[in-house]
Amino acid sequence: MKLKKIAALLLAVLMVFALVACDGSTNETTKKPEGGNTPATTQGNQGGSELAGTYEIKVWCAEKMVDLTTNQIKAFNEKNTDGIVIKATVQNVSEGEAATQMITDVDAGGDLYCFADDQFARLVQAGALSKLGTQASEFVTTNNDAGAVKAATINGEIYAYPMTADNTYFMYYDKTVITDPTSMDKIIADCEAADKQLCFDVGNGWYLASYFFGAGCSSDWSTDKDGHWVVNDTFNSDEGLIAMKGMNKLMSSPKFDSKSNAAEFDNGAAVVVSGTWDSSTAKSILGDKMGVAALPKYTVDGKDYELGSFMGYKLVGVKPQSDAVKAAVLHKLAQFLTDKDAQIERFNTANWGPSNLEAMKSDAVQNDPVLAAVAAQAQRAVVQNVPDGWWNLAAALSAKAKETGDEAALKEALKTYNDGVELLKNLKPGLLFVGAWNGWNNAVVEDTYILTGDGDVLSLTLEVPESDYMGGRIVNNGKWESDKGQAQVTTGKELIKDLSPEENGDNNIVFVEPGTYKITINTTNNEITLEKVG
Amino acid sequence: MKRYTDMEYLRLSKGRKFLYKIAAFFCAIPRGLKNFFLGIVRAVVNFFQSIGREFADIFTTFVKGDWKTKLSYLVMGFGNIARGQILRGLLFLLFEAVFIVYMIVAGAKWMSMLPSLGKVGPHEVYNAVLDQYTTEYGDNSFKILLYGVLTIFFIIAFIYTWRVNIRQNKISEQIIKSGKPLKSGGDDLRSLVDDNFHRTLLALPMTGILIFTVMPIIFMILVAFTNYSGINDGYANNLFTWVGLDNFNTLLAWEGAGNVYSATFGEILSWTLIWAFFATFTNYFLGMFVAMMINKKGIRLKKLWRTILVLTIAIPQFISLLYVSKMFDKNGIVNGLLSDLGVIRQNIDFWGSTAHSALLPRVMVIVINIWIGIPYLMLIATGILMNIPADLYESAKIDGASGWKQFSKITLPYMLFITGPYLLTSFTGNMNNFNVIYLLTGGKPINAAASSAAGSAGYTDLLITWLFKITTGEGAKYYMASVIGILVFIVVAIISLVVYNLLPSIKNEEDFQ
Amino acid sequence: MNYYAIVNNTLEFIKENALIVGIIAAFCVVAITVGMWKVFQKAGKHPWMAVIPFARDYTLTEIGSTGLIGVLAYVILPILGIINLNGIRYFYDLNKGASKPIYAILFVLGTIFLAIALFFHVLSSIKLSNAFEKGTGFLIGLILLPPVFLLILGLDQSKYVRSVSTSLGLKASRAISNTLIHIVLVIMAIIWLVPFVCIVLQSFRTETKPDGTMITWIVPDVFPKKWGLDNYINLFKSDFVDWYLNTFIIAAVVALLQTFIVLCMSYTLSRFRFKLRKGLMQFMLILGMFPGMLTMIILYRVLKDLGLTEAHAVPGLILVYVASSGMGYYISKGFFDTIPKTLDEAARVDGATRAQVLFKIILPLAKPIVIYTVLTAFMAPWGDFVFARYIAFGDSSGMNAAVGLWKWLTQDMINLRYTMFCAGGVLVAIPVAVLFMCLQKYYVEGVTGGAVKG
Repeated sequence: MKLKKIAALLLAVLMVFALVACDGSTNETTKKPEGGNTPATTQGNQGGSELAGTYEIKVWCAEKMVDLTTNQIKAFNEKNTDGIVIKATVQNVSEGEAATQMITDVDAGGDLYCFADDQFARLVQAGALSKLGTQASEFVTTNNDAGAVKAATINGEIYAYPMTADNTYFMYYDKTVITDPTSMDKIIADCEAADKQLCFDVGNGWYLASYFFGAGCSSDWSTDKDGHWVVNDTFNSDEGLIAMKGMNKLMSSPKFDSKSNAAEFDNGAAVVVSGTWDSSTAKSILGDKMGVAALPKYTVDGKDYELGSFMGYKLVGVKPQSDAVKAAVLHKLAQFLTDKDAQIERFNTANWGPSNLEAMKSDAVQNDPVLAAVAAQAQRAVVQNVPDGWWNLAAALSAKAKETGDEAALKEALKTYNDGVELLKNLKPGLLFVGAWNGWNNAVVEDTYILTGDGDVLSLTLEVPESDYMGGRIVNNGKWESDKGQAQVTTGKELIKDLSPEENGDNNIVFVEPGTYKITINTTNNEITLEKVG
Repeated sequence: MKRYTDMEYLRLSKGRKFLYKIAAFFCAIPRGLKNFFLGIVRAVVNFFQSIGREFADIFTTFVKGDWKTKLSYLVMGFGNIARGQILRGLLFLLFEAVFIVYMIVAGAKWMSMLPSLGKVGPHEVYNAVLDQYTTEYGDNSFKILLYGVLTIFFIIAFIYTWRVNIRQNKISEQIIKSGKPLKSGGDDLRSLVDDNFHRTLLALPMTGILIFTVMPIIFMILVAFTNYSGINDGYANNLFTWVGLDNFNTLLAWEGAGNVYSATFGEILSWTLIWAFFATFTNYFLGMFVAMMINKKGIRLKKLWRTILVLTIAIPQFISLLYVSKMFDKNGIVNGLLSDLGVIRQNIDFWGSTAHSALLPRVMVIVINIWIGIPYLMLIATGILMNIPADLYESAKIDGASGWKQFSKITLPYMLFITGPYLLTSFTGNMNNFNVIYLLTGGKPINAAASSAAGSAGYTDLLITWLFKITTGEGAKYYMASVIGILVFIVVAIISLVVYNLLPSIKNEEDFQ
Repeated sequence: MNYYAIVNNTLEFIKENALIVGIIAAFCVVAITVGMWKVFQKAGKHPWMAVIPFARDYTLTEIGSTGLIGVLAYVILPILGIINLNGIRYFYDLNKGASKPIYAILFVLGTIFLAIALFFHVLSSIKLSNAFEKGTGFLIGLILLPPVFLLILGLDQSKYVRSVSTSLGLKASRAISNTLIHIVLVIMAIIWLVPFVCIVLQSFRTETKPDGTMITWIVPDVFPKKWGLDNYINLFKSDFVDWYLNTFIIAAVVALLQTFIVLCMSYTLSRFRFKLRKGLMQFMLILGMFPGMLTMIILYRVLKDLGLTEAHAVPGLILVYVASSGMGYYISKGFFDTIPKTLDEAARVDGATRAQVLFKIILPLAKPIVIYTVLTAFMAPWGDFVFARYIAFGDSSGMNAAVGLWKWLTQDMINLRYTMFCAGGVLVAIPVAVLFMCLQKYYVEGVTGGAVKG
C-alpha cells in the first residue's frame, strides 16, 4: 500500500513538473495560422537598421573548415553595414552527419549547416531547410554554375546555397604509358601493352553511370513536395545496351581492375579513374608523370560516346526560423559565406572546387590541372539525383556486363533493372482520391483512384455511384490530411454540397449527384477543380 | 501416443528412446500452448472478477461507513486526519490537491487534444518587407501524445490512490471498533526500515524503470498506431495523427504497395531466427568444449588461456568488431595474406553477395560471433563444470565408459539442466543482438528487392538492425519501427513462453538417465 | 610460396619421372597388401580382406579398435583431402585464376582433412604396434614408412597380443591428448589475439605517403613500416582527452549508482515475499523482451526537454543508464538466493530491523556479487555508441569516447584518422581490460553463481 502511495506521489511530482514544462508550450498555439501578406513596399531589399543587433547562432561545418568559417564570420561582422554582430558557435559536424541530425531533430540543429547535395531532397521533405526569398534566389542563380543551382532547387524553388562543385571523377594517368587519353580503346591497348592496370570501379553504380550518360541515357529522380517520385530513367533502351556493351569491352580486358584508388599507381596501374580526393596521392606517386584529363570516349559498333559522370555539390542550408529578422540575418550570412571570395578562399585553403562562376574562371582555379579536369568533366556531368535503392540495381547491371557480352543477356539485365526501378517508383504512388463508396480504402492501391499527370497538375476521371453519402477527398497514400478536401475546391463548387465544418469535420468533397466527374488538382497550391463529364 | 512407464522406457532400445523423446517433445507443445492460453483466460477472468469485487466493496463501504468515511469519498485523507493519522491524511490530501490543480491547468487540455493529436500544423509565412520565408509553428503532436498518456497514467494513479484511501478508512473503522490503536505516523516511518523495508528499497529503482522504460515502451506502442515519422514529426514539418491498424496492414500486406515490407519482413525474420539459433548453439557447445579442454587435468597455464580468451570481452565491441570487419575487407589484411600466399589471385569479397546467395557474409558473421561469444560461455561452463561431482566421472570410468559416453551422459545433461533458462535468454538476446551485425556488416549486402522506403534492409540484417535503419533512414518512419518492435516482442514472447513451459517436461526426461 | 606452383611442379615431376614413380608406387601397394595379409593372419582375421581396399582398412582399424570412426578418418578423409586439393587446382584453371570463396574453403578443408587423417594414421599405428608389442623405434618407422614396416610386421616373428586395453597406456594417451590440446589452445590463443595485436600495431603506424599524408584506411599489410608514438601524441592534442574523461566519469558514476540500484532490487526480490513479487518479476521479464532501440527516440525527447542533450549529454546519459538499470537484477538475485536465509532469521531473532540485516550481515557476504555488478556496470558505458550518438551530437564536449572515435571515421578524414582511431581504441580498452583481469575471479563467481541458480 505504501509503495503505491510513494509511486503515486512521485508521479504527482512528475506531473507538476510536466505542468511547468508544458505551460511554456501552450504559448505556441496562439499564433495566427494565416499567411501574413503585408503589402510589399520595398520588395526584396532589407532596410539597414532593421537587422541591427547581436545574434547568437550555431554553425555546423566539416572539421577542415571550422577555423576558416570562424574567420569568415568574423570578417562578416566587420564588413557588414547593417550593424549585425554574429556570435557564432562553430561546431565540427561532418556533412553526412549534419544531414542526418537535422532530419532527426530540426529544432536542435545548427542554424547554418553544410551538407552534400544527395541529402537535399530528404532535408526539404523533413522541413529542415528554409526557402530562399526572391533576392536570395537571384543571388544563387546568377552567381553559380547551372548544375549547382539545379542541385539546390526542388520544384522550381531554391532551398540552399551552393558552396562547392567538385565531387566528380575523371582520369588520372601515367603520361609515359598512355599516348592518347581521349580514347578508351587506345587506353586499354596501351595498358595491355605495358602490362599495367586500368583501374575504374565500374562495379559501383556511381562510376558505371558514366557509360550510360555517355550513351545518352539518364536517370533522374526527383520528389515533389508531396513526396512522390517524378522519375526519368531511360537506361532500359538501345542506348543502354550500347553502354552495357562498352562496359563489357572494358571489363573483359585482362588489365581491368576495379580498385578506383590512386594508391594503385604504386601497384602497377597506369590509369586510375578517381576524384579530387586522390589528387595529392596521385601527385605524390607519379610526380611529373601525372596526367589529368576528363574521361575519354568509348567506342561501340564504330561510334564514339563521351563518358559522362555524376557530380556532387556541397550546399549551405539555413534552418527554418520563426523570426523574420533572424531569418534575414542568417540568409545574409549564408550569402556571404558562399560568395566568390569565400569560395576562392576555400579553394586556396583546402582545394575545394568552387561552384561560383567567376571563381571557376579565376586564374588560380584554371591553373590547377586537377580542377581544370573537373571543369572539363563538369560539362558532361549530371547532378546526382537518385534514391538510396538505386545503387544496387545499378551494381547488378555491371555485374552482368562483366560476365558476358551476349546481347540477349545484357538486354535481360536491363529489363531486370527496369523492373527494379518501377518497384522503387511505385512505393510512393502519389495522390489518391478515396471516397465513401470504396470504403475509404487508401491502403490497397488497386482499390483506389490514382491521380496521374505530368508535372504539377494531376487529374482523375471518376465514377461516383448513387449512395447515401457521396463524399471523398484527395489524400497522399497512407495519410489523412485535412487540406485537400472541400476547402480547396476552387472551380466546380456547385457540384458539391456546401457543408459547414461542424457537419463536415473531415473537409470531404461531397457530390450532389452521382455521375462521372473529372477531378484535377494543382499540386503546387493544392487547388482542386471539378467537372462533370457524364 | 503411447506413454511408457519408467521400467518400459529403460528397456527400449536406443533408437526407440530417441524417437520417444522426440514424440514427447512434440506432444508437449500443444499441451504447453493449451496451458498458456488457459492461463491467459484465467488471468483475464480473475481480473474482471476482482474489478467487480472492488466495486462491490466501494459501494458497501460507503453504505456502512460512518460520516468520516463518507466525507473521505470527496476529500481524500479526511478520514485519516479525523482519526489521528495526520501524516497519512496530509499525504492523501496533498495528492488530491495536486491532481485537481493539474487537471484544471493542463490535464484537461491534453486529454481533449489526444484523439486528434493536434489540428494546426506549421505554416510557411512570407514576409515581403524582409523578403524572407519563415515558419509559424502550431500544435505539437508529440507533446500531445506524451502528456496525454502521462495524464491518463496520472488519472489511473489517482483512482487507485482514492481506492486505497477508501479501503484505509474501512480498515481503520474496523480497527477502532475492535479497540486496537491505529498506526501513527511514527509507526509508519519506522516500518519503512523494517516490515516495509522492501518498499523503501524498491521505490527508487521502480520509479526509474517506470519513467524511463515503461513509459517509453507504452509510448512507442502507441506510436505504432500513428504515422509519426521524420516527415510527420508532429511539430516542425507536419502533424501526425492516428491511423489505426494501417501500419500493421502495410507491414503484413501481401499485395499492393505494402508488398515490399512484408516480403522483407519475412526474410529478415527467418534469418533472425536462423542466426539466433546458430549463434546461441555454436557458442554454447564450443564454449563448453573449450572449457572442458582447459579444465582437463594436466593442462598447464590454465589462467593464461582463460585470460587470453577473455580479452575479447574486455575490449569494447565497437573497436574489435569494427577492426575485424576491416580485416576481412576486399583490400584488407586477410585478403592480402591469402594473395601473398598465392592461394587466391583476386581478392575475395567476404562481405559481399554473389548472384546466387548471400551465404558467405552470413557464415562469416556467425563465425566471428563465435570468436566473440565463446569466452562468455567458457567462463560460465568452467564454473559449472567445476561443480559437477567428480565421483560421477570416476564411477563412469570404472564402468568402462569412453570419453564420448561420459560427455553425453553426464556432462551434457547436467549443463543443459542448469543452463536451460540461460540458453533461452541467450537465444532471445541473440535475436536482438544489435552490435555484432551492425558493426560487422552494417546489414550489408543490401537486398536489392528491399528498397530504401523499406529501410534498405540487407541480407545480414536482423529485425533489430532493420528497425534501426528504418529509424535513421529515408523518412525516418518511426511508426514502422514501432510496428516491427512490437512484432519482435511478440515473437520473442511466444518463443520464451513456449520453451519455458516445455523445460520442466524435458527436465523430467533427463532424470531418467 | 605460390601454392598453385607447388602443386603444378609436383605433378610435372611425377609426369617426367613416371617410370620410377610407378615402380615405387607398385612396390608400396604390394608391400602393404602382403604385410596386411600376414598381419591379419596373425590376428586371426580373414587374410583375404587385405586385398579389398576398404575392408582391409576396416579390419586394420578393428585390430587397433578404433572401429568405424577409424575407417572414416583413416580412409575416407585422405581421399577427400586429395580430391579437395585437386579440386582447387581444377577450379583455379576453370576460372582463369579468378578466385571464388569456394577456392579458399577447399584449401582450408583439404588441409584440415589431411591433418585429421594424419592424426588417425598416427593413432592407429600406435595401437597396431601396441597390439604386437613393438617398441618405439618400430612405431616411428610404422608412422613414417607404412609399407615397409607393415611388411616387416607381417613377416617377422611377433605375435598378436590382445592386450587388456588396446589403447595406449594411460599416461601415454593422456600425454598425447594433452599435447594435442595444448596445440589447439595455442592456435586458439593466436586466433583470439590476432585482431588485438593488429590494432596495437596499427596504432604505432606513423608512415606517411611522400606528400605527407597518411596511407589509406584499408591496408593489406599488418606491420607498420615506420613506428612511432605520433598517434598517441596526436590523441592527447585532440578532443580525445575530453571524450575519455567524459566516458570515465560516466562509467564511474554509473558503476556506483547502478550497483546501488541493482542491489536494492535483487536483494528485495530475493529475500522478501510480498504480494506482487512474482508478478513484478514476470512483468520485468516481459519488459525486457522489447527491443531497447524503440525507446531511443522518446528518451531523446525527454532529455531534450530537460536540457540534457548535446553539450550536457553526460548527465543525460548517466540518468538514462542508471534509471533503467534495475532490470538487470537477474544474476544478482541468483547470488543472493544462495545465501541461506537462516542468517537473516537469526539476526531478526536478535532484534535487528530488516535494514540492519541488510547492511550489517548480508552485504559483507555479498562482496563477490557487488564487485561483479560494479565491474559490469563500469564496462558497459565504454562501448555504447548507438544511444550516445543519438544524444550527443554537434558539441564535442558532450561526447563519449565511442561516439567521438566513430565521428572520426568520416569519409574525408578517415585516411588521416584511422591510426589514431586504433590508438584511441587501445587506450579505451586498457582500463576496462586491466580492471577485468584483476577482478576476473569475482566475475566468474558472479556469473556462475547467478546464472546457475537462477
